[in-house]
Amino acid sequence: MANPVPSACCVVLAAVVMVYAQRQSQQDSPVQYERVGADVTMKCGSMDWDAAVTWTANGTDIDESHLNGSYLILKNVDLSQSGQYACYEGSSWHLKYQTSLRVGTPPKEPVLMCRSNNYPKGFYCSWHLPTPTYIPNTFNISVIHGTKDMVCEKDAIPKNRCHIRYLQLFSTVKYKVTLTVTNALGKNFTTLTFDEFAIVKPDPPESVVAKPVPNNPRRLEVSWQNPSSWPDPDSFPLKFFLRYRPLILDQWQHVELSDGTSHTITDAYAGKEYIIQVAAKDNDIGTWSDWSVAVHATPWTEEPKHLTTEAQITETTSASTSSFMAPPTTKICDKGAVVGSGAVAVCWTAGLVVAAYSVLFI
Amino acid sequence: MAAADSPSPALRRRDLCSRGIRLAGKMRADVVDLLDIYVEQQGLDASASVAAVEGVPLAAVERWDEQTGTQRLLENLAAYRAFRALLAQMLEEQREQLGEADEGLGRALAAVLLQVSAFAYHLEELLRLESRGIPGEEGDGPPPPPPRLSLFEQKLRGLGVLRELAQWAVRSARDLRQLAKPSPATGTAPGLAESP
Repeated sequence: MANPVPSACCVVLAAVVMVYAQRQSQQDSPVQYERVGADVTMKCGSMDWDAAVTWTANGTDIDESHLNGSYLILKNVDLSQSGQYACYEGSSWHLKYQTSLRVGTPPKEPVLMCRSNNYPKGFYCSWHLPTPTYIPNTFNISVIHGTKDMVCEKDAIPKNRCHIRYLQLFSTVKYKVTLTVTNALGKNFTTLTFDEFAIVKPDPPESVVAKPVPNNPRRLEVSWQNPSSWPDPDSFPLKFFLRYRPLILDQWQHVELSDGTSHTITDAYAGKEYIIQVAAKDNDIGTWSDWSVAVHATPWTEEPKHLTTEAQITETTSASTSSFMAPPTTKICDKGAVVGSGAVAVCWTAGLVVAAYSVLFI
Repeated sequence: MAAADSPSPALRRRDLCSRGIRLAGKMRADVVDLLDIYVEQQGLDASASVAAVEGVPLAAVERWDEQTGTQRLLENLAAYRAFRALLAQMLEEQREQLGEADEGLGRALAAVLLQVSAFAYHLEELLRLESRGIPGEEGDGPPPPPPRLSLFEQKLRGLGVLRELAQWAVRSARDLRQLAKPSPATGTAPGLAESP
């Protein structure tokens, strides 16, 4: 019996060679780009119209109903008809023609955005197409400042972005950025014109932390850091906008802070979990950043007291009346919180109630 | 007052810089408001491009971060002296054109002119603090106006002046912040210890 191992090796080797040859031929075959909805006619190389041929699409024979003589007719092509097309002479199966058909669309007007998140170093522009073309596109960007052409250096990642270093600061001359997108089926472009200050938008603040304040049931201490992309916060200080709300409510409270990277919220609802975010803006120019990542925090609450018997209440009452004091959040006799003669009357009333209650339990 | 009670030069500089930054901020806000009034009253398009106007100091600068403190102060002083003369000229033209008919614009112009004068004086104080000679004003200010501009040309020129002044107000605040920074080596403000 023949040794099966060498036979198997030969089969594998033959398969590898075939795949390699097919890939090479695909790479070598010309690419034909057609618009979605177009009618496509493919000629079988130099074969006569009345020659007997076989067309394949991705290796599968194409039905003769799509042929006009030796020409392949594809009407109203769609994206699914992209692929490798080949034409073989009828009897000899010699390959006479092959092409890679790519069905796509010309580009629509691209979407372009420019922003400076690292002022005063420079700015970047990024772009994308509103709808895919399904075929390769080339993007070309030009930046003009007054009469001067500037080079926008393409970023490695992401690919649809480039950056420019400011050569001048404080200029009133506008920048004009034109992005042109081209593919085999057409081209399109868009232009942005802006001045230096208008596109300044920092990244959101980082490392936002919110903590309860011990023994303060209505306070939350919030701190954050300047975005790391902002190169010189000393010379180009940022101001901040803080927003917070309890999870159970929809309405935000807002606080604008002209300096510092911390703030104490003093009007939080006791015991309620809060959601807090911070945004940043250059002190003088530009627009606000996006909101930071949200953080959650709940103000400090007193440890719940254990339930006591009547006797224990009686024992403790004579020593202290602190257990009958209103909770801190509802301090109505707090000197700092009370204003006016009406409030004084409320204080006295509360005092009488407390005294009466004490008497009942003595 | 005994000499021991007067603040050190470093503290005085920081104080002057802080006040100057606030002045510049207020000035910018008022110039931006004035621009809105001016554009509306003069019937101009707010987005109209205005070519660089002769005699208007440009705020645009290359290598801003490499400037010395003295350069910053001198350039700022020259600019605000020029703006003082330009705004006075605009006010005069305004009164000629509209007389008392447009008091709002005239008042706003006069208020900004006052702030520009105050800021120029503030810069002189900073230069004095550094024992720098204050340059004379003979060479400053705009060149003699060209042959009488048309009304439209005057309006565009005014737009250019105010826009550039708004840029300067931002630049001045940045310049003063740079000045207020302590130098890591000497503890003095950067750039002021060295001569240009």
